[in-house]
Amino acid sequence: MTRYVINRLVQIVIILFMILTILFVLFRLAPGDPVARMVDPNMTPEDAARLVAQLGLDLPIWRQYLAYLGNCLTGNFGHSFHYGLPVMEIIGQRLPNTILLFSTGVLLSAMAGIAWGKLAAWNKGKATDLWLTVASLITHTLFLPWLALLLIWVFGYKLDWFPINGMISDEVWLDPDSGALLKIWDVAYHMILPLGTLFIMHFGAYLLVMRSSMLETLKEDYIVTARAKGLTEKAIRNHHAAPNAWLPVVTSVGLSLAFSINGGALTETVFSWPGIGRELVFAVSQNDYPLAQASFLLVASVVLFSNLVVDVLYAYLDPRIRY
Amino acid sequence: MTRARFFRLAILLPLLFVTLAWVWSGPAAASDWDREVLRIGVLEEPKSLNPWLAGDSWSSHVQALLYQPLYLREPTELKPAPWLAEEPPVFDPQALTYTVRLRPARWSDGSPVTAEDAVFTAELIKNLKVPRFVSLFAALKQVEALDQLTVRYKLSRPDASFAARALGAPVLSRAQWQPVLEQSLTTQRPLASLLQYRLEAPLSNGPFVLSEWRKGVYLYLKRNPHFFGQGLTIAGRKLGPEISGVVFKVYGTSDAAVLALRKGSIDYYWNNIQPGYLRDLKADPEVRLVQSQKSALYFLGFNLRQPPAGEAAFRRAVAMLIDKQFVIKRVLQGSGEVMSSLLPAGNRFYHLDQTPDYDQPLTRRQRIDQAVEILAAAGYSWDQRPSWEGDRLRPGRGIKDPEGKPLRELGILTPPADYDPQRAMVGVMVQEWLVQVGIPAYARPMAFGALLERVKNQHEFDMFVLGYGNLPLDPGWLGSFFLGENDRPRGWNMSGYHNAEFDALARQAGRAMDPNERRPLVLEMQRILMKDTPFLPLYNPTLTEGLRQDRFAGWVEMVGGVGNLWTFCQLTPRAGRARP
Repeated sequence: MTRYVINRLVQIVIILFMILTILFVLFRLAPGDPVARMVDPNMTPEDAARLVAQLGLDLPIWRQYLAYLGNCLTGNFGHSFHYGLPVMEIIGQRLPNTILLFSTGVLLSAMAGIAWGKLAAWNKGKATDLWLTVASLITHTLFLPWLALLLIWVFGYKLDWFPINGMISDEVWLDPDSGALLKIWDVAYHMILPLGTLFIMHFGAYLLVMRSSMLETLKEDYIVTARAKGLTEKAIRNHHAAPNAWLPVVTSVGLSLAFSINGGALTETVFSWPGIGRELVFAVSQNDYPLAQASFLLVASVVLFSNLVVDVLYAYLDPRIRY
Repeated sequence: MTRARFFRLAILLPLLFVTLAWVWSGPAAASDWDREVLRIGVLEEPKSLNPWLAGDSWSSHVQALLYQPLYLREPTELKPAPWLAEEPPVFDPQALTYTVRLRPARWSDGSPVTAEDAVFTAELIKNLKVPRFVSLFAALKQVEALDQLTVRYKLSRPDASFAARALGAPVLSRAQWQPVLEQSLTTQRPLASLLQYRLEAPLSNGPFVLSEWRKGVYLYLKRNPHFFGQGLTIAGRKLGPEISGVVFKVYGTSDAAVLALRKGSIDYYWNNIQPGYLRDLKADPEVRLVQSQKSALYFLGFNLRQPPAGEAAFRRAVAMLIDKQFVIKRVLQGSGEVMSSLLPAGNRFYHLDQTPDYDQPLTRRQRIDQAVEILAAAGYSWDQRPSWEGDRLRPGRGIKDPEGKPLRELGILTPPADYDPQRAMVGVMVQEWLVQVGIPAYARPMAFGALLERVKNQHEFDMFVLGYGNLPLDPGWLGSFFLGENDRPRGWNMSGYHNAEFDALARQAGRAMDPNERRPLVLEMQRILMKDTPFLPLYNPTLTEGLRQDRFAGWVEMVGGVGNLWTFCQLTPRAGRARP
């Protein structure tokens, strides 16, 4: 196992190096001028060139690349062209918000998906199975911005049950009388609609995976043995079939959690959630190289390491798997 | 704990949590600590409050309330009114100096605003060549403080824009920025170091001061107790501010912001409202829609460096084919005005009020016939000339240029529909109108950055549709856009326009220190440009903003909308109206 993990770590380092290079090349090839919006129509060419030099964009491309690699190795990802702040600080501000929303969304969807997938498989061919499967297929194929706007319209505006968007209310957070507990409640309150959207969109995927895996498991000999031993149906379902059906769901949840740091640009935009997904889109569209490169690198790193963690977890969950 | 119980708890606890949140958050909304706080919805948060760095409109909205200029355009005549200055600048034409006397004013920390602050600001911009402002101070030779409140700017050459633009730039605190400048000068890249300075607590000489900024969520400015304008009457307006603060709330989409406006979560949405939202908003009695002129220019640009767009007759024919009224009616849904000159009509002093023949009300048939005549007179020919069978057009086919070669397919570059559906749609319309007379054309939406790269740097295009939504009222930019010397990569002469007569006029206008002397020159420049048509001005969209009438009164309307400093200094809370 140790040797396997070391091999995978070496692979990850090589892949990360490749990703660093690809990111650098991609952003330089992308059309657009990062300083176009910073220059004034009346600026002389000399002053414009000076600005380019100040941002280090006048150097030959290979020197820019070497400087970029060197900086990345020392953890210095530079300053955002537009915010003027270190990119890691910007990411550090946004990332916790994204993790809070999307990880909660993934976990809630996964828990419901596993429970309902188990139920659907156990009742295969019955009305419960049919309703759950159809509901999963429909909700999973909805267009996210449409669903999000619909929920905002109905629950945020018409019924006025929840805030329309945002992560917190300035009314609460600026109020000198608001205590810490109220502020925590406020965050949770703002999470309801985006979480609801994520839940509706994603529980179906876990449900279908769990149902499919559970159906396979139910054909196994040890299930027949369990029945022959006279165990209750509930015990067979929950203690013999379900734990063995979890494996594919674990992979799916692990990777979804990893990708959750990428955020969802659409969800974050529609709900004005101050996360990393919106920043990523902004950075790419505005040619903010440092911010875009660091954001993508972070996503790639987390996905690679999560893959490794999921693989190791596999061996822990299923003793038959050996590396 | 059994696994089943664990799962049950894992699902129930978050549900319990959110339910409690819902129940508990009710009383907070009823609190009235914020009765006099104006809430503004914005689409993006400010990028930075570092005034040297951020020039995007969202940052400018906030910075305008913190950093004050010497002169500010008053809302009625749009003339510069003394703001941080006490009186109009005194210009000495012999010495080429402007002498400005400051009002007694204070920074938000209570320290006095002095002439040294104005000197420091101008010198820093000039020495470090700060991109946001350097062109405004290009003619500045020297700046000095004559006494505590008097500053003198000496120019190296006459610059007609200096008074309107450089004296309209903000004055910043020397005490705050001197140490930053010194630190920057010790680095290899002092300008980059200055632009990257993290400004935690900006000193304000404006009506408000930063109180709290939750990145990505809201920014709260509270009333500056040291604001110089409090109780003063400037340009006939008594200044406050009477409101206790301003909260900028970030909404990712116009859908959410418009709903927030209707719901009462915000008092004003500081952005243009698209026509699709207007019907619902008009029906809401609490919401008032304000329409304002913009200092904007949306145009079709030609590449004069290559045929056929390089030929004046071709450009005239294209201009004749374009029905701007139709564009206003169908694309802008009536929310805009036809532009028949490059300076918008709102800029009353410099606007050329003269309608060219192609902007006269013509039928489609008249437009097509006249365009065909112009092209034929210039030597263009067709295998099948456009003709009419009753009211039905037989489009032209096989058009050939004056040398008898088949005309190649021409591209019309536009921003993509998700960036600006109106400009993308205009590109398609122009394509169809050209095709009607047999000119092979295609509209090509592309990413905005890519479009600028093609047009400004590579000069690889035939035509393009672009726009500027917030042009300076000073017409100095007109020269920059069309001076022959600015036809270079990254230069502003995107069309590659060269006209010695225009260049001479532009230089003369740039040196004319008396606005009355400058005006006829600027009008003549517009006349030449409308004749040569390197850009064909299309439309100036009307700015439609939404605000609630139930909590605040005193909104000041002017070119550019109600989101202006005069509004924030005059707005008063309506008595007894709490936030819903």
